[in-house]
Amino acid sequence: MELLGHMLEGFGNVFAVGPLIAVAIGVFMGILVGAMPGLSPSMGVALLLPFTFRLDPLIGLVMLTAVYLASNYGGSITAITINTPGTPSAVATAFDGYPLTQQGKAGIGLGHSLVSSVVGGFVGIVILILFAQPLAKIAVKMHPAEYFALALFGLTTVASLGGKNWAKAFVAALIGLLINTIGIDPISSVKRYTFGVTALFDGFDIIPALIGLFALSEVFTKLEEGAIKSIDVGDAESRKDVWPTLREYWDHRRVTLQSSVFGTLIGIFPGAGSAIASFLAYDLAKRTSKHPETFGKGNAEGVCAAEAANSASVGGAMVPLLTLGIPGSAATAVLVGALMIHDLVPGPMLFTSNPGLIYGLFASMLVANIFMLFVGALGGRLWLKVIKISPAVLLPMIVAVAFIGSFAVKNSLFDVGACFVFGIAGWMLKRYGYPMAPIVLGMVLGKLAEVNFRRAVIMGGYSIFFTRPASAILLIISVAAFALPFIQASKEKRKSAGKK
Amino acid sequence: MKKFLFTVLMVALTFCLFAEGQQDAAAASFPEKPIRVVVYAGAGGQLDITARKFVEIAAKYTNATFVVENKAGAGGLVGWEYVVSQPADGYNLMAVTKTLIANHVKDEFDVAPMSLDWIAFLINDAEAIITNANSKIRTIQDIIADAKARAGQQIWVTPPGVDEVMTYKFWDKTGISGKYVPYDAGGQAMAAVIGQQAQVYVGNPVDVRGKPDLMMAAISAEKRFAQFPDVPTLKELGVHGLDAESFWRGFAVKAGTPANVVAWYDDLFAKLTADPDWKQFNEKDGMEVVHIKKDKFNTIIESEIKDFKAYFNK
Repeated sequence: MELLGHMLEGFGNVFAVGPLIAVAIGVFMGILVGAMPGLSPSMGVALLLPFTFRLDPLIGLVMLTAVYLASNYGGSITAITINTPGTPSAVATAFDGYPLTQQGKAGIGLGHSLVSSVVGGFVGIVILILFAQPLAKIAVKMHPAEYFALALFGLTTVASLGGKNWAKAFVAALIGLLINTIGIDPISSVKRYTFGVTALFDGFDIIPALIGLFALSEVFTKLEEGAIKSIDVGDAESRKDVWPTLREYWDHRRVTLQSSVFGTLIGIFPGAGSAIASFLAYDLAKRTSKHPETFGKGNAEGVCAAEAANSASVGGAMVPLLTLGIPGSAATAVLVGALMIHDLVPGPMLFTSNPGLIYGLFASMLVANIFMLFVGALGGRLWLKVIKISPAVLLPMIVAVAFIGSFAVKNSLFDVGACFVFGIAGWMLKRYGYPMAPIVLGMVLGKLAEVNFRRAVIMGGYSIFFTRPASAILLIISVAAFALPFIQASKEKRKSAGKK
Repeated sequence: MKKFLFTVLMVALTFCLFAEGQQDAAAASFPEKPIRVVVYAGAGGQLDITARKFVEIAAKYTNATFVVENKAGAGGLVGWEYVVSQPADGYNLMAVTKTLIANHVKDEFDVAPMSLDWIAFLINDAEAIITNANSKIRTIQDIIADAKARAGQQIWVTPPGVDEVMTYKFWDKTGISGKYVPYDAGGQAMAAVIGQQAQVYVGNPVDVRGKPDLMMAAISAEKRFAQFPDVPTLKELGVHGLDAESFWRGFAVKAGTPANVVAWYDDLFAKLTADPDWKQFNEKDGMEVVHIKKDKFNTIIESEIKDFKAYFNK
């Protein structure tokens, strides 16, 4: 009941002109930031941060949080329409989102992505409001051994992502893992493959790599095909207005809710993040689906899973921030700065010292989801126009945005070059049938796996992975998850061989 | 035609040279154009916020325009190399911290430490030994007793660099040993202490603000802080020789910047140091506002380089 009172107070604080405008601006900017390849959620929040210095703390905070929330949805727009995930967390969205577009059903993908993002966002925030305290206790109990096991579990998704192409998917994941070894070793500070180049000290940033692998490689492929005139998006009639019906949204409730809860849980672990949440949720959805064979070929369930999970992870990432004062993701680390500048210290004290702010923030996140639903629904037809743009116009624009986005990461021309090289590499790999997503997965998970493996070994020796129950269980599940697709494949092979 | 091109080129070159000469003359009336504040870390972090606060307060005392620019990467080397690549005219003011020195030694930066002129040491942030307030290992005595009981298995976590060396120094002075585990993000290291996977975190007083699960076992300072009357100093507890261990923030310019420009900055930083907003901004987080000028700051840098070398090259 006390919670209800606080929430009412929070809504009271938010339902004023200032905060509502801030949420609206935040949602709008967030969608833009997410859709722009190169601007990640954390960069979007950091870009808007200086504007909040002079604002009322609540207004500033709700705006930044709205950016964070909406950018996770924004990333799906370009992922679905032009196969260029705007954020790492939207890579998994493109798996089924882009095939839908190719079948002339971009509206289906966009509709499901919007609704599942909103549902995921809601679920994440509700879990945050109700269970923040107990969840934070679980989050801090996570030993490096368990983080390693989680990362390994994430990598097993390669086996199911790859399908029949599993060997190539595996090679692609290895490329991602190897790219990760470049830079100063985070544990012992040894320079690995840096060749004295300062820009390589930190290794390759995920953003230029992502843009190169997805956006530029696609441009190069199109150029090679000479497909400058038109993109095959189905006939004009089907392009017009294929949006999911209410019934279809309802039919996807299971996968959306399951991924929302799962995404929130991944989000609460400091350092795991929304990209891992969406990959794992996609994999889980595929494994629990009645039609796993249709995943990757335009099954809307895949879009729902990835989008619900990455939006839900926002609520999850706020858990350690608000209950422990520890940021759970890059974007929440910037939120710490936003609080500090107003002399507010993130942590459990805020609940007692500034309940109006905290519950106002919670209320604003719920409101932001509703705004997102409206902006997404109204803008949906606009997003669809992207695929109607002539490639002769669209492709140069993609190249320009890709380079600007890469530069924006660290104001570095090196990243622009890196993006170009990744683009060439991606184009060549694609020609030989290597998928791009496992490379990104390898890059996202590689550092998490390596650093935590080594921390765990320093802390407790090699046996620690098996003596800690949670880690042991996760490792066993990983081995099983990895082996299962192969066992199924070989069974099918034998069956078909038997028929012959 | 060739001749014409040649003439144009020569004229252009002359203008370039002329422009260069102009710059020297300009030093007499510094500043004549916006000053770039180079932040070696990303937007939204502590250093970035401090730099922006400086810009905000400096506006009270000067008409000069400051523009914060984030040149993040390679532990600060990207920003450092950038400043060194620019003319030594004072128009690139680099926000610096002790982490730069630690990284310089640890990652073997390819720039000379004195390629920068360290002109202002402005914030002094004591090192704090931080423990889990709900565990059995809370005080310095608990830490030492536990370390002996665990015989080298006590786990200390910090971001690598300054706090890492503080860890080694503490072990040296107290005769204990432990396992050091680096965490690139301080928050995750603190989470490990809250989750009791690790016993001790080394940081600064600001780290425990708003985190009731954590407490300061001791701080490295001459005397107790008014803000934290219950936190003992290491000296009080019989751990000597660590009083001067602190994390600092300040500013540097490229070596060889004209003396009048440095004097202009000295004047500005003196006003900044006296500013109540600046004091409040830093002291609320347990930091001390000071103003150590160029010569003394440069000797501090030189001795810290030696100090870090002794620990990192062991």
